[in-house]
Amino acid sequence: MEEALLRAVLFGTPILLAGLGALLAERSGVVNLGVEGMMALAALTAFAAAQAYGPLPGVLAAFGVGALSGLFLGLFTVTLRANQFVAGLAVAALGLGASGLLGKRYEGLPLAHPLPEGGFALLGAVLALLVHLFLTRTRTGLFLRSAGENPKAVDLFGVSVDGVRYLALGLGGGLIGLAGAYLSLAYRPSWTDGMTAGLGWVAIALVILAAWHPLRALLGAYFFGLLFFLQFRLQGSVPIPSEAFAAMPYLLVILVLALSGRSRAPKALGQPFERGR
Amino acid sequence: MRRLVLGVLAALGLALGQGDKLKACFIYVGPVGDAGWTYAHDVGRKKAEAALPWLETRYVESVPEAQVVPVIDRFVREGCRVIFATSFGYMDGVLEAAKKYPDVIFAHATGIKRAPNVATYMADFYQVYYLNGLAAGALTKTGKVGYVAAFPIPEVKRHINAFALGVRAVRPDAQVLVRWINAWYDPAKAREATEALLAQGADVFAFTEDTPTVIQTAARKGAYSFGHYTPMLKFAPDHVVSGQIVHWEVIYIDFLKKVKEGVYTPKNLENVDYFWLLQHGAVEMGTDYGVPINPKHVPLLKAAQMSVEGKKVPVYDRIMSLLGAMKRPNPTFDPFTGPIKDRKGVVRIPAGRKATLNELLTMEWAAPGVVGDWPGEPR
Repeated sequence: MEEALLRAVLFGTPILLAGLGALLAERSGVVNLGVEGMMALAALTAFAAAQAYGPLPGVLAAFGVGALSGLFLGLFTVTLRANQFVAGLAVAALGLGASGLLGKRYEGLPLAHPLPEGGFALLGAVLALLVHLFLTRTRTGLFLRSAGENPKAVDLFGVSVDGVRYLALGLGGGLIGLAGAYLSLAYRPSWTDGMTAGLGWVAIALVILAAWHPLRALLGAYFFGLLFFLQFRLQGSVPIPSEAFAAMPYLLVILVLALSGRSRAPKALGQPFERGR
Repeated sequence: MRRLVLGVLAALGLALGQGDKLKACFIYVGPVGDAGWTYAHDVGRKKAEAALPWLETRYVESVPEAQVVPVIDRFVREGCRVIFATSFGYMDGVLEAAKKYPDVIFAHATGIKRAPNVATYMADFYQVYYLNGLAAGALTKTGKVGYVAAFPIPEVKRHINAFALGVRAVRPDAQVLVRWINAWYDPAKAREATEALLAQGADVFAFTEDTPTVIQTAARKGAYSFGHYTPMLKFAPDHVVSGQIVHWEVIYIDFLKKVKEGVYTPKNLENVDYFWLLQHGAVEMGTDYGVPINPKHVPLLKAAQMSVEGKKVPVYDRIMSLLGAMKRPNPTFDPFTGPIKDRKGVVRIPAGRKATLNELLTMEWAAPGVVGDWPGEPR
């Protein structure tokens, strides 16, 4: 039981960090489907920097690369007003491809000084709270939320909608970068091509599951972590085929979504902002 | 007509090929750097190229199964005379292309269908898994050994069974707890499956999947483990006891030499099937190249005793003598020697003989001591 709760938190943490990153962007009105690729690139960056300069610079570098890749996505979705889904998918593919290519020389190397998972778990929980307070208690947070609900109002206040969205993508990208750092420095201290293994997509689903709320994202991520662990803990002790267990977390996500019904996306989500339209 | 044109094109391709160098081309299913299956094939390719001065090689990585024919088309145009397809899923594509290019030699890893110009090959680990099972049986304190497995297919089942037979030969009451992750490559699943097994009391680990995750996870809790496919000692120097290491180059060099010498032609490969084991040097028991057992764990294995034909023998001595017996040109030991019953008590290999190649390749039953879900288990 204790073990299950511990795994729920430790496996939930990368999903939470990446989910918070995607959530920030979505609350400002930008869908970020690039999470998987951004996370992979950050994981590689973290590993490479940690090899050269030590684990903490690795974490910072991952945050930086995550933020940069968020701003890169912003270039297309905010400034050029490209279709957010297409741009996001392109960033996902680009990040995965680039990390695979650039990471060849780091394949199969162990990391000398891994970071404790517990530290990241604590950071994740604190960040969930901070994101919540930021969104609800600060002026910038208010503008960020408004950019996702009613960008015209933000514009009328004389605040740049594009600027707010860049901020959300950059900060969110940084959080996604931390998720990558967790994977390559703590959870599985090494780098391999494709090591994100779909967690970025789970993080995007988490945002919807959590109804765009950071604290619910915390619970949702841990819940997902718990299910993921249980599929192996219960395999063989209950007469259910392992394939069905593997599908269970996803089925339950759909179930929760169907039952929760009332969750509502930010109104301006997915819509590029153009003044005067 | 189409055949003729293609034939001419192929011949042209051959003529344009580099001088008298033999060009062998490799199709990989994953990225070269994955530290598992594809990485091992690429190590084999490089070693073959280094050993054979008349050899030139090419490769294409991460080829999806449906894309194998276009890649073969390209290779043939580029003058490849021998094409190695290194994934089971390439089977239909390879057989189709083999008809289209009757003058090109194909070799299909893990394949089960051959043709006049298609051979099959495999380097199998079951003997090594048995030896590592002996070590695991000696090292477990809880009597629970964890096994993280990719897919419930005969190859993986054969490995688990050999391992479990080894574990039980030392510790007759031990259990081998199996968890399927239904993926060759998924570090998160491998990690959580290992955590689940640790939570259930497993204290020694083996696995069949393509990452060192199990080793890294087990080592955090001080649990021993056995590497797979490539030397994995570096991931946990104090905890990797031994492992299975492949030497694809042994097969590649032998095959290519025979092509060069004219022993293998595009007309006589119908019965060429490599199922190479310890005796051929295609696989090795080792925590690293040339190191069968981690020196840190040798004293433990020397102190542990097991009963062999009524006599007490140190487990270390037993492992070494069986390793020697299986390395001989005519092995005097095989793990799947009858009588062997499955975990339901049904006799699977009768007394007095060892498992046939066909029995090994189609193994679906579970050995005694194996605990866990077992899809496809015969009634």
